[in-house]
Formats: sequence, C-alpha cells, structure tokens
Amino acid sequence: MNSFSKIISFFMLLMSFFILSCRGSAPIYHLREDVDMSFFKRAAVMPFDNLSNDKAAGEVVRHLVISELLASGLVDVLVPGEVMAAVNELDIKNISSLSEKQIKALGKLLKVEALIIGTVEQYGETRIGNVSAPEVTVTLMMADTGTGNIIWSITLTRGGAGFMARYFGAKAETMSETALAVVREALSTLKKY
Amino acid sequence: MNVTNEKKRNKTFCLLSLLFCCLTLFTYGCKSAPIKQYARPNVDISKINKIAVLPFENFTPSAYAADKIRSLVIIDLLSRGTDVIEPGEIIRTMEELRVRSVHSVSVFDLKHIGETLKVDALMMGSVGAFEISKGISVQYPEVSINLRLFDVKSGNIIWSVWHTAGGADFWTRHFGAEGPTLDETSKKVIKEAIDALFIHKSS
Repeated sequence: MNSFSKIISFFMLLMSFFILSCRGSAPIYHLREDVDMSFFKRAAVMPFDNLSNDKAAGEVVRHLVISELLASGLVDVLVPGEVMAAVNELDIKNISSLSEKQIKALGKLLKVEALIIGTVEQYGETRIGNVSAPEVTVTLMMADTGTGNIIWSITLTRGGAGFMARYFGAKAETMSETALAVVREALSTLKKY
Repeated sequence: MNVTNEKKRNKTFCLLSLLFCCLTLFTYGCKSAPIKQYARPNVDISKINKIAVLPFENFTPSAYAADKIRSLVIIDLLSRGTDVIEPGEIIRTMEELRVRSVHSVSVFDLKHIGETLKVDALMMGSVGAFEISKGISVQYPEVSINLRLFDVKSGNIIWSVWHTAGGADFWTRHFGAEGPTLDETSKKVIKEAIDALFIHKSS
C-alpha cells in the first residue's frame, strides 16, 4: 500500500467516524392534515410546564418560543401578561392539562385562534463518558381554540458534544444555543406546512 | 524522476489535506446561530424616539443579572441618540398604577404606563443566561437575552429579538488565550440585539 492509499484510507475512516457520530434522529411530530394553517392568525403561548432541574427553564424556553414564533412570521403572539390575566380570570389551576372546554374558553377570552402549550423535559448539563454537554428536550403543542383539538405536537431533543467538539476541540454549543436550535427545529416543522 | 514526482504529489496532497482539516476545524469553531428578529409589518419603528425600559425578568441564578442587563440596554440606547426615561420614574409610575410584576403586565397596563410616561414605545425583556458555564475543557461566559418593544397605542409587540453570545473561542480552546469576560459578553449580546432594531430604524 503506497502512502497515497494510506491517506485515502485514513480519510475514509475519519469520514465514517464523522457520519456515525453526527447521525441524528428525525423529529417525531404530528400535524393534522385537515387543518388550514392560514386560519391561525393569533396565538397565545401558555406558561410551560417544567420537568427539568432548572427552576427557570420553563420561562426561558417560553420566551424563546414567543420570540422565534414571531420571527418566523407564522402567527402574531399575544402579550404574555394577558395570558396570565386570562388564566387567573378563568381560575385555571393546572395549565399543563387543559381540558377542551378550558382551551375554548381561553381562546374566546384572549381572542386567539390557537394556544401553544409546552413542556420542558430536560434543560441542563448531561455527562456522557468524561464529557459534559448541554441537553434540551421540549414538547410543544398547538391547540385549535375553535374545536379544542391538538393540531400540532412535537417532541424534540438536542444535546451532547459533537464529533468535532469531542475529538478536535471545536466549539461546543452553549446551553442557550442548544435551546435555540431545538426551538427553531421544532417550529420549522410547523412552517413546512 | 517518476518517484520524485510522486513524492512531491503526495507531499502536496498531505499539505492540502492538513489545510482542509484546519479550515474545517476553524469553520466549526466559529459557527453561530444567525440572529432572527420580528418587526411588525406596517409599523414605522424609525418614528420611535422616546422609550421606557421596564424592569427585566430574571431567569438566572444571578440575583442582579436583570438589573445589570437593563442598565447596559439603557446605556446602549442612549448612546445611539434614543431618549430613554429615567428608571426611577418608571418604578414610581408602576407603583402608582399598581403594576406589581412585569411578569403579568397586561395590554391595558402597557397602554396606561405609556400614556403616563408619554413615550412612543415600551421595552420589556428577560435574561435567560448570565453565567460562567463549564465547557468540555474550558470555562466561558454565556449571556442570553430577549428584548421586546411594545406600541403604547395598541399594546402590540412591534419588535422582538432573542439573542445569545458566549462560548469559548478558537484561541481560548486551543491555546488557552484569555476569552471575553461576562461583562464584555453582555455588552456584545446587547449591541448585536439593538443593532438589529436600528437596522429597522435606519431603513
């Protein structure tokens, strides 16, 4: 084997490592096909349920979703304070498990066509081997306030140090960058419609 | 002769491969998410000359992160020639109008505060990260902010941005060079976020 073949073999091996380490799972999401998304002009983003160890994770991701939803141009988003006022007015105790009746009532009171409901399942550093890296897992849902049905839902996770970061010291994502990437990828499934 | 040429070719190939790897590493090391913002259509942001910056929400373990970021935002806006209401005046108005928390400010409250302070827009914000985080091999500052501008007449969000800065740069990761401080990262994230607003103001 001459040196040229050796180099080629080395690069093929390197590429194999790279491909194996970079494979990501496609997002699992549900989008009702019989719904016309252009109907949804205004949405209210409900306070998110937080199942992570970070006390503020729910609010951090909620603000991120509001900003990215606005930036995507998909829908107009209601002022967050209005949502809290409506929740208090309707005396809703458990935001994470809204009934069909409550979804309709919130829609009527807030004058919105959709509610965004979310859960932050993971928001923190996870340790894999001798490397710790940020990991974020979110579940987002969109409910039609006219019918009370869930028309879109997605669960997405992102994290861990990439191949380049682990082996070559390339820049690893920060927690905020990971959260931003998760939210953008989740909302992109809504935009594809 | 042929053997010499082949050696030269291999050497060139090795050098090119090395250069390619370095470039790839450098590119990976510099990637960052592009800033995405929202500006309400049919609203002329350039007409906004007087802003009241309300207290920011703090989602970080650092008790004073929101106040620090708010002060830097006010300084940045002032340095660009925007008239900003004195923070003490805002607190006094909020107390007068019995607005207890920025977390639950309604459209009615926003309109009321805006009318009382006689401003063109209200700015609200939150701080999502303000800390020294631990990376794979190095520690680095991380700051993330969300800024929102409200129209005082309608109470609508007219501009919004979520931006983050931080992480160890190439020189810090590989050569242990001194990276930016938390304060410098805060200034960077605020400057970039408000630059995005002023793109609309100048257009």
